Amino acid sequence: MDWLSVIPPFVYIALVAFGVVLVTVAYLILLERKVASWTQDRIGPNRVGPWGLLQPLADGLKMFFKEDYRPGGTDKVLFTTAPAAMMLVVIVAMAVIPWGGVHRVETQISVAAGQDVLAAAIASIPMNADLVGEPRVVEAGTYGIMYEYAFQIADLSIGLLFLVAVLSLAVYGVVVGGWASNNKYSFIGGLRATAQMISYEIPLGLCLLTIVVMTGTLDLGQIVEKQAHYWGGVIPAWNVFAQPLAFLMFLTCIHAEANRSPFDLAEAEQELVGGYHTEYTSMRLGLLLLSEYAEMIVTSSVCVALFFGGWHLPGLLGPDAQHPAVTSSWVVVLLRCAVYFIKVLVVIFVFMWVRWSMPRFRFDQLMMLAWRSFIPLSLVVLLATAIALYFAVAQDESFRSLRRIDGYTALLLFGVNIGLLLGAMVLSRVLPPPPLTNRRIGIPGSRFSHTPVPAAGEVEAVVQTKREFLVGVSNQL
Amino acid sequence: MKDTEIIELQEPRLSVADQFYVPQMLVGMGTTLKHMFMTLTGKDRVIQYPEEKREDIPVVEGGMNLRTYRGVHRLNKDEGGRVKCVACFMCSTACPAHCIHIEAGESPWADREKYPIQFDIDELRCIYCGMCEEACPVDAIELTHEYDIVGLTRQEMIFDKEKLLKMYDQTVEKEPM
Repeated sequence: MDWLSVIPPFVYIALVAFGVVLVTVAYLILLERKVASWTQDRIGPNRVGPWGLLQPLADGLKMFFKEDYRPGGTDKVLFTTAPAAMMLVVIVAMAVIPWGGVHRVETQISVAAGQDVLAAAIASIPMNADLVGEPRVVEAGTYGIMYEYAFQIADLSIGLLFLVAVLSLAVYGVVVGGWASNNKYSFIGGLRATAQMISYEIPLGLCLLTIVVMTGTLDLGQIVEKQAHYWGGVIPAWNVFAQPLAFLMFLTCIHAEANRSPFDLAEAEQELVGGYHTEYTSMRLGLLLLSEYAEMIVTSSVCVALFFGGWHLPGLLGPDAQHPAVTSSWVVVLLRCAVYFIKVLVVIFVFMWVRWSMPRFRFDQLMMLAWRSFIPLSLVVLLATAIALYFAVAQDESFRSLRRIDGYTALLLFGVNIGLLLGAMVLSRVLPPPPLTNRRIGIPGSRFSHTPVPAAGEVEAVVQTKREFLVGVSNQL
Repeated sequence: MKDTEIIELQEPRLSVADQFYVPQMLVGMGTTLKHMFMTLTGKDRVIQYPEEKREDIPVVEGGMNLRTYRGVHRLNKDEGGRVKCVACFMCSTACPAHCIHIEAGESPWADREKYPIQFDIDELRCIYCGMCEEACPVDAIELTHEYDIVGLTRQEMIFDKEKLLKMYDQTVEKEPM
């Protein structure tokens, strides 16, 4: 086990997570095709291997052996950079996902006489680990030490901020790729992605803020740890139960963030040929497609960490009730990783389920959804959460000191969320209708326009009213 | 078109559920989930074509009635194994797609005057209407129930006399004259 103590844990966590995620990405494409088939009463790929399980291999081989074609007039550097940048950004974002809580290790070191014990202990533990407690004497020259490290690649205290910053860079792949292609369809796809990203980052950030207000930290590992207890001894304290409306908006926003249907306007194949990747072939196209799925994994992981308690399942809590994330058992750590991953897969299944159920939004509908409903609603949810948390103080001292949400506060927040949902439903009936866009406008004299044909003397008057109507409509726009 | 004939349609006012989108979305997702469940439990799914065929399934369960199916043509033979066709050109005259090309020659046999030296049917141009079958006075040309014919070139899909006679040999047991 010498090499394990030499290599810091984040290195092998990174290697394993990277491998698992990349293989999963390939299999997600198969899962997507399977889900599509099931909703359409088909069976899906079943020719390559049992149940089509070798299909990703065949697809990958195909991608590698296709001609790597670059059309004339493209920006050579950007054309290649775009897919790489997109994949890179998504992989970097993977670093802060808290897979397995905190692992505590007990070990013994031998210290020569006259040496500083504390310094020797710190020197002996892995790079990103923290020493816990004082080294205690086992026998002469041998000390027992404890150290713990977060079972994730990078334990950032501003993990959430880092994620938001990095994930919004992913749109650069789409925009740059669309621009470098020298193709109007690709370009329109890139433009759409930009506008969509700008619009949906706002409610996404506000939903994240709601959770930050609740938990009081930006550290994803701590956000998960604060959900690792039970309300009333039964209901797991996952944020989704306290903030259903914020969860709904967050889920919709990550659909838009990951460019997934019904928000996949950047690659609307019915209108834009292939969207931003029209001109891409071979492994460059492969990277673009894979990074789309990798982004799904990352956004789903964030969703699981924020709303579904991350690795939390009954039986996986550590011995210390104050810090349930800390465990010294390898089995528990690995089980937590598995639980986290299964939860992520469930969220990804929802992504796919939505894709094959919903028609794509029109672009003005997409913008209307963000600016007219999500931004106001998420602002109100944030405000209401802040007010509710100000007034609802946990009765239990341990809850207060750990800044955990107790059952009553959760119930209050749940009520506030449902109340806001119903209020929004009522308000949407009362508010004036959206502006007239894309409505059919009657053109006098046209045989396709169902306007009454005016009598001989009235033509001028009808034309005048129509003109006024058109001017009115354009003013309204 | 008169003004009185024009029906003005108004968009129906959306219900609260429609307007708020989420409830109706859940209804839609329920529909797809139901389909997923039905497919995965094998209660309702499409026919797995090369392994399962529609003609093997009862008609009431969505199968195909082969007896009324008009597939690729065949040229029938008589008891002596000779081609039955007498090259009367009735079929090529009746053909709405002009896909039958016949060249007649003097018959080597005593009981008829003519027989086809060449008999080509362009199976790509044919619309499988069965008019040739109706027109034939000696029941020489018939449409079989074969529908899964393939060819790598267009030329391959122009069936000549030999091919059509071979089609008779292949199908005569399943579909006697």
